[in-house]
Parts: sequence; C-alpha cells; structure tokens
Amino acid sequence: MLPNLAANFAAALQAAQGETCHFDSWTSLADFACELDPQPVARRGIPLSGIEAPRSVEAIADRPVGVTQAALAVAETGSLLLVEPDPLDRYVSLLTRHLIVAVREQEIVATLEEAFGWLARQPRAAAYATFVTGPSRTADIERSLTIGVQGPSRLTAAILTGESS
Amino acid sequence: MTSFKTRYRRAAADPNLRRGLLDFQRSWRVSRDEQMARLERRTEASFGDLRREFAQTKDDTLERIDDYIAEFRAHAEAAGATVVEVETAQDALNYITDICRERGIELVVKSKSMVSEEIELNHHLEAQGIRAIETDLGEWLLQLASERPSHLVMPAIHQRRERVAELLGDELERKFDPDDIPAMVASARGGLRDHFLGAEAGLTGANALIAETGSIMLVTNEGNARLATSLPGVHFVTAGIEKLVPTWTDAQRQLQLLPRSATAQQLSTYTTCITGAQPGKEMHIILLDNGRRTMAADSQIAAALRCIRCGACANVCPPYQVVGGHAFGHIYTGAIGLVNTPFHHGAEHAAGPQSLCVSCGACADVCPVEIPLPQQILELRSRHAHAPLWERLALRVWARRRWFRATMRLAALASPLLRRMPLPLRHSWRKPPSIPWSNARRRIAARHPQQAIAATEASGRNVSLFLQCLTDALLPNAGDGAARLLEAAGARIDLPPNQHCCGLPSFDAGDRDTARRMARQTIVTLEEHPGRDIVTPAASCQIAMRRHWPQLFADDLPWRGRAEAVARRVHDLAEYLETTARLPDGALSGPTDCDSDYVVHRFCQGSNLAGWDDRVERLVARLTGAEPQPLDEAATCCGFGGLTSVTAPEVGRGILERKLDCVAQSEAGTLVTNNPGCVLHLRAGAEAQRMPHRTLHYAEYLATRLP
Repeated sequence: MLPNLAANFAAALQAAQGETCHFDSWTSLADFACELDPQPVARRGIPLSGIEAPRSVEAIADRPVGVTQAALAVAETGSLLLVEPDPLDRYVSLLTRHLIVAVREQEIVATLEEAFGWLARQPRAAAYATFVTGPSRTADIERSLTIGVQGPSRLTAAILTGESS
Repeated sequence: MTSFKTRYRRAAADPNLRRGLLDFQRSWRVSRDEQMARLERRTEASFGDLRREFAQTKDDTLERIDDYIAEFRAHAEAAGATVVEVETAQDALNYITDICRERGIELVVKSKSMVSEEIELNHHLEAQGIRAIETDLGEWLLQLASERPSHLVMPAIHQRRERVAELLGDELERKFDPDDIPAMVASARGGLRDHFLGAEAGLTGANALIAETGSIMLVTNEGNARLATSLPGVHFVTAGIEKLVPTWTDAQRQLQLLPRSATAQQLSTYTTCITGAQPGKEMHIILLDNGRRTMAADSQIAAALRCIRCGACANVCPPYQVVGGHAFGHIYTGAIGLVNTPFHHGAEHAAGPQSLCVSCGACADVCPVEIPLPQQILELRSRHAHAPLWERLALRVWARRRWFRATMRLAALASPLLRRMPLPLRHSWRKPPSIPWSNARRRIAARHPQQAIAATEASGRNVSLFLQCLTDALLPNAGDGAARLLEAAGARIDLPPNQHCCGLPSFDAGDRDTARRMARQTIVTLEEHPGRDIVTPAASCQIAMRRHWPQLFADDLPWRGRAEAVARRVHDLAEYLETTARLPDGALSGPTDCDSDYVVHRFCQGSNLAGWDDRVERLVARLTGAEPQPLDEAATCCGFGGLTSVTAPEVGRGILERKLDCVAQSEAGTLVTNNPGCVLHLRAGAEAQRMPHRTLHYAEYLATRLP
C-alpha cells in the first residue's frame, strides 16, 4: 500500500509541475540541499545540521533554496500540507526560489478527504495551514502558464524513507 | 463605468478578444471534462450526483444562515478574530476605512476578492487617501489599466500581451518584450515585493467560511494571498454571507468542484485555511449582505447563492466568447453576473448584459452547484426587461395568428426583392429567408397522403401535428416532411386548425403576459382531442411547453394543470420516430437528391437542458444507413437565440461564425439540424457567405428519401 501511495503522490505532483525525490535520512536530504546551494535556509525545528533557520523576512526572501517539512502529503492530488502558525515558516515556503518539502513516507494519505479529516481534528494546525500543490504559477497573461510568481518556481517533495517518527 | 452600449460596441469591434476567448473556451472545455471524468471515476459518482449533493448542502446552509453565522462568529472570535455583519456596500467600506484610520493604515495589499470589487473598495480607499495595491498579477494589471475584471477567475483574460508590456513598462519604468511573458511575470515579483513589505494591512476574500471552527479557506495559484496574510499586521476578509459552509467536510467537497470547474486543475497551487487572528495581529472578517438576503427570500433566485465563483458559466457561454465580460456582465460577469447584478448593483446595470443571453443552457450544464441560470435569467428579464418599441410591436403582431399570417403573406410577396437588397451593415452577414407563398398547412392539405411503408405502433393512430409558427410560414418542406414521415409510419395526421405559436418568443423577450396569452391559445387548440399524441418538428417548442409553461402558470393552478396535461402529450418528432412511429432500420436508405455526407448540429437546449444527446444523429443514421460525419462543438448554440440575433446582431454573427467554421471543417455536403430557428439562422449565414453545403431540418432531409 505504501509504495503505491508514494508513486501516486509523485505522479500527481508531477502533473502539477512538482518533482519528487526519496531520501533515507535527514543527512542525505541536507546534502542534497547543500549541493543545490551552499547556503540553504530552513524552517525552524527540523533536524538539518549546518542549515540555518533565519529570523527575518529579509534573510529569507529570494534565497535560492529553502527546506521545510509537511505534516502530511496527499497522494490523490500531489499536495503537501504545511502547518505554519509562525510567519517565518511561511516565508521559507513562499519566498525562496526552490522549495524542498520533506515528508515522511508513512505520512502520505490517499485522499484529500483524509487530509481534511486530519485537519478538522487539529485546531492548532488549522490556525494557518496550506495545501501546496506544485510551484507557484499564473496564467494571467494571455493564459500562458508561467511558473514562479510570488512563490517558488521549483518544488521538490523529499520523501523520507526508512525513518520512523 | 462606461455605459453598456459603449462597452458592447468596443467589445464587438475587437476580433482579438473573441479569438482569444474562443481558444480559451475550447481548451478549458477539454481539460475540465478530463478532470471531471477523473473525479467521477475516483468517487464512483456522476458529476450530476456530486453537484446535486453539494448544492443541497449550500441550500440547507442558506436556510439557516443566521445559525451558521452565529456559529462561525463564536469560533472565529474565540480564536481572536473580529466578525462583523454589514448590510450594504457602504457599511463595509465605512468599517474598513474606520479601522484603517484608527490604526494609521496607509497601504493595503489585496489578494483577489470579488466582494471587494462588488463594493468598489479600491476606489473608495483612494478617495480616503489610503492606497490599495492588488497583488494578484491579473488584478494588478487591471489596476494599472484602470479596468475591471472581465472574468471571475481570470480577471485580465481580455488583455493582450502587448498591452501588458505597455502597462508594466510604464509602472516599472523599463522596457518589456511582449513575447517574453516569463520576464513580465518575474517583474511582478519584484514590483510587488516592496508593497508587501510596506503594507500595514492585507485584504483577502474567502472561498469558504467554515462554521464549525470559524476558519476561512482561500484558494490561489500565485501565493499572493499567503503573503498578504503574513506580512501585514491587520488582515481584512471581505466575504458574502453565502460563503458559509457548516463543516470541513463540506469545504473539502467544495474543493472537489471548485478548481476543476474554475481552472480545470485538480487542485489549485495553494489552498490555505486560517483560523482566527495570528499572535500579535488583527483579523477582521466582514460578512456582506448587499442584496443576498433579498435573493435568499426570492424563491426563483435563491439557488444563485450557491455560487462558488468558479466562472464555468462564462467558460461555456457563446455570447461571452464573442464580447467578453465587460459587456457580458457588470462587475460580476458571465451568466451568474446576469442574475446577481440586479441584487448587488441594481436592475439598471443588468438590463444591457441581460439582453445578450441566447438561452442556450450551456451554463446550466457545467455549473458545479446546479444553479438554474437560464431559467433565472429569463425570470429577471421578465421583471426588468425594457424591450425597444419595434420589438414590442413585432411581438404584438406575432402574438396574433391572423396578423402573423397576413404579415407573412406580405413578406412572401416582398421576399424575392428583400433577398436581393443589401441589409444594413450590422446585419450584412445574413441573407433574408426565402418566404414561400404557400405555407406548410396549405401544402399538406393540398397533397395526397403519403402511403405507409411499414407497420408501426402508430399504424392507424390519429396524431395531431403541431407545426409551429416558423415552420409553417418559413419551412414548409420541413412541416410537410414531418407529416409525411408520420404518415409513412401509418399514422393519420390532423392539423389542429387554430394552431399558431406556443408563446416562446414573448417568453424569451421577458413579456410573460403575452406569452401566457399565446400559451393559452395553443393549449385550447391542442385540447380538442384529449388523449391524442401531438407531435412537433420544432424542438424548441416542445421544450418550451414542457419547461416554460409550468413556470408561466405557476400561480394559476387550473391553467397549470391544463398546460401540463397538453405538454405531456407533445412529443418531439425525432423522439416519436424512434418510439411510437418507429420505421424499420434502413427504411429510408433509398435514392435521394441530398448528399449522404451530412453533419448534425444539435439544438443547444435539447442537449443542455433536455439531455437529448445524439438523438438526431441516431435517428438519421438508423433510417438512412449512413453515419454522420463528426462535427466539432455539435451542441454549441448556433447564435439564433430568439431575438438576440436581431437585437445584438454582432453576438448572433460571432456565434454563427464559430458554428459555420466547424461545419466548413467537416466538409460535409448537408448540415442537418432539429430546430426551425437553427435552420433559418444557419441557412441565412451560409447563404450570405456562399458556403457550398445545404442546411435542412432532418424532417425534410429524411422525407426526400421516402418513396
């Protein structure tokens, strides 16, 4: 069941112009981020050694790579649920150019119904929660799909395998 | 705002606009249908079931709206938000400006909100010395151009890239290449960033207000709503009271329908849920009435409050494709705009756009909350219509059988001359019909009956033929063909002597009194032989009798009963030829002077409102043994639209050209269709353009093959 969910998730996210990678540890995820950019930024509270979690919007805006973590992912839609009561966390997921979103493989749920069910039972998470499905986009100029407007132009879902919560 | 006439003329004179919207409508339809089909497969439920279920939720919520507002308020306020209910647009504006003044707010960044457009917030804030900056790219471009949205979801869909390059160039003081759209988009990121950083308040709408937790749900693709709700210290939410849903489950069901119907996405990029004020910040949720409670109390209109602002009704609307949302709408655009404008902005702003609707029913077919938009548009037309004098005179003549026939006689005499005379420029795309001296009734009475060619259930049965006014006067071959097909199936035909018109033209024009008078006349005429089947070759009339008559006599029970009893006996000819008068397969495969390569244009209301699908294709193919050629957009309106093609000839022409392009591409020799109005309109356009194909009613096409 699990590998199936991960594959479905990856396919749905790909349809929304996002990409998926698998990592067996936070360390390999950190290596991946640092290879893309020597100084990635991250949201607070995730175990990434050597990657800073800046404390101001200026320190985050337009940085090449940001790393955050999703509470869960939705296989049906390719969405990542970001619970971000702290605005600084939102700046990481919104103002960096390439966003990497870590999610544990066992936290992929099948449908949006399940994800909403989870959210409805988590009043604290619902303070500010966002389903992110692909990179930021617009089609406002002659309906031409253009990736990366206010938000990231590249989105990578980093599925963490082999680590239990 | 410029007058409707100016907006209409400007739009009608812009070929780029209709080309762009045509491309958009066509590609949207394909992607939207794919998305809906996937949803149907996954949920194992039909689109019809899914939308009915959610529409029921919306209706139930609206019935107890005050309870749900109270529940929402209690939870949102417990989470630190302030919830205010305001009655008018002015009340909403006052509240927002008061807060801005008290807090010293000078700059507000806005995420897209139709309610803020509805109350004309930007304009008002500016007058108070408060800057409001739109941060959705499309809305920002409109703000730079001092324009209004022309679509609910894609507000700047009418703007061309050259115009965008100019607007951005002026604002950002640099030069843009119109073909480098990514560069223009990227510039918006930089151009808007300082505004985000400097704003003291952010404003958003809400796609849903979730009562059980006091949460709001926001759906965007760019991410600007998240910025507008994160950087500034004050968050305003402007939303109509109809946005309430009871639970998270309901919000999720709305999400199943919204992005798929709006942008044909499974899910938009960002779906954000916010509950209450964030620590150290303020949240003001302004719930607007502005006519919504009046709508809710109006049994004919209440269903319009189910609207989730997806814009699908515009995405399939043929007149919208021709003139865009600045003409087809006021502030709210598309079919829903024709319905809610009288309540939010006054009837005077609705009358012009109202007159452009062709009643094709395409909007009702795709609406994800099953709003009976065509019915509501006609209802409002009857309340607010101000038809010009010539239109009222013409309908008055039409309403009287003798006057109508006398006029047609005169027209028949003048017809050869009229067909040679140039029409006024606005109508030059059509050729007046050839009007025969002898109408269908006379022709049928003068000939020998057609011999039966097979035994059917109709053999020996008496069948009344309701020819319909247009068929009788202008398409006698179709009327006679209908009679001969029924006789070929063994039926004995009678022509109820006083038959004339079901009242549809007056009904469409909003003149319900005249429509009722005509309907009564037809009902009395058709009551002569109770129990006898009545068959008509006019698809529009059968639908009018079944759908509009009950509406016409809603408050008159005795007449309603009579109307329904007659309407039940009225059959569409194509249906009757497949059932009771079913000739054997291949019965009409004999030689003919008509080409056997044909395409079928499906009468739009038959497909969109009555669910007829490929009824005519199946009938013709079964009887002749020849399958039709494929025709793109077979069920899209031809542009006749009752009087719309006369009062708004540019709309009639634009829709017709779309249809005739499809016909030309099929390279078929004959265009067959099932409604007299369509035959006349399609023929008038094809003749004016000297197209090589023939345009026939299927009754005529089939009857030429009778022995």
